[in-house]
Amino acid sequence: MKKLFTVLVACFLLLLSALPVYAAGGKVTYSGNAGNFVFEPGSEHSLTDLFPNFKGVMPGDSLTQKITVKNDADNKVKVKIYMRSLGAHEDSMEFLSQMGLTVQHSDDNTMAYMFDAAANETAQLTDWVCLGTLYSGGEVNLDVTLNVPTSLDNEYQSKIGYLDWEFRIEEFPAEPGDPEPPQTGDNFRMGLWLTLLISSLATFLILLVWRKKDREKQENAVYH
Amino acid sequence: MGKIKIKLFVVSLVAAMMTFISTSTLAYYSTVGKATNVVTSGNIRFVIHETTDQGKEFPKEGVYIVPGDIVSKKVSIESDCEHPFYLRVKMVYGIDSQELSSEECFKLNIDEEHWVLHDGWYYYTDIVDPGETTPDVFSHVEIVGSKVDNSHLGKTLTLTVKAQAVQSENNPISDGNVYTASGWPKEAEK
Repeated sequence: MKKLFTVLVACFLLLLSALPVYAAGGKVTYSGNAGNFVFEPGSEHSLTDLFPNFKGVMPGDSLTQKITVKNDADNKVKVKIYMRSLGAHEDSMEFLSQMGLTVQHSDDNTMAYMFDAAANETAQLTDWVCLGTLYSGGEVNLDVTLNVPTSLDNEYQSKIGYLDWEFRIEEFPAEPGDPEPPQTGDNFRMGLWLTLLISSLATFLILLVWRKKDREKQENAVYH
Repeated sequence: MGKIKIKLFVVSLVAAMMTFISTSTLAYYSTVGKATNVVTSGNIRFVIHETTDQGKEFPKEGVYIVPGDIVSKKVSIESDCEHPFYLRVKMVYGIDSQELSSEECFKLNIDEEHWVLHDGWYYYTDIVDPGETTPDVFSHVEIVGSKVDNSHLGKTLTLTVKAQAVQSENNPISDGNVYTASGWPKEAEK
């Protein structure tokens, strides 16, 4: 019995270790056709918050937030994605000016920082900066690092700072020489086939009813 | 007939131009989205508990005492935040509005295993984790009979517990001495 329990526990632990571990990441998804961006995960303070890791920060903290920017438009388009900072909200200026923020492409950390300044500023992101040209399914990752100085004073306890970023896309038709996007997900159009099935059945039923009525009419005509 | 041909030509031209323009527009969809990102700072908060041996809250109005009394008063500190911290406490004694030294009237049974005296403050030797309550700083207060005489009749003796905390994250200490942590409020702020 004890052996069986040990085996079960071992299996459970093995199962747990096999589960994927998801880091809290921000995500910007463009869905195509000049539709809206979707910003995740959001927070109790803002529905479009991309900084889940920057909550309850303490003096001396150096925290990194990964943000994935993804083109989820269909295969016929490619997009150029840009970003810029609008800076801190007026009432957050003083608080955010106490800490440093850096932004860089995480895929190639060798490049210079796209942004390296106090968190309230717009600095190098005042103008639009192109993050790249993304084909369908393509994504670019950003590493955002927040550095909180140890000298941050007691008066900044329990503060909230708001920082606005804008993302812009330009959509272009894909060209023959463009790389093929990887096959991802299931392309089976359940909705389309279901609609076709239901409409076919409905047509079949209507035809049956008509045929029946026609027969009845004919039979009535014969009897009378 | 000629006029009709010209009209047809113009209409065709306009149609062709419109097609060109609309095709150009379709090729360059553009849209902008705004994300409002939020940074929040943490805090250090705690609650001082003062209870009696029976676990009841120590009466705010105080208790009547006579020389030689041993009053049950248990003092502990509970973390009320999401961050660990270092802690120190100080007892301030008074008679009416005048401050006294501890030796004058009171004697406390300080738990010296967990609280170490340095420079007038008792430092908790460990980190107070979120939600944790410290062991009692002391549990009894003795009113020293030899120090309390008739001159104290009708007066109010006070014992005030002051506590200060500083974050333990990103705040290394030397040789396990909590008083070496950075960020303790300056003496003037006590």
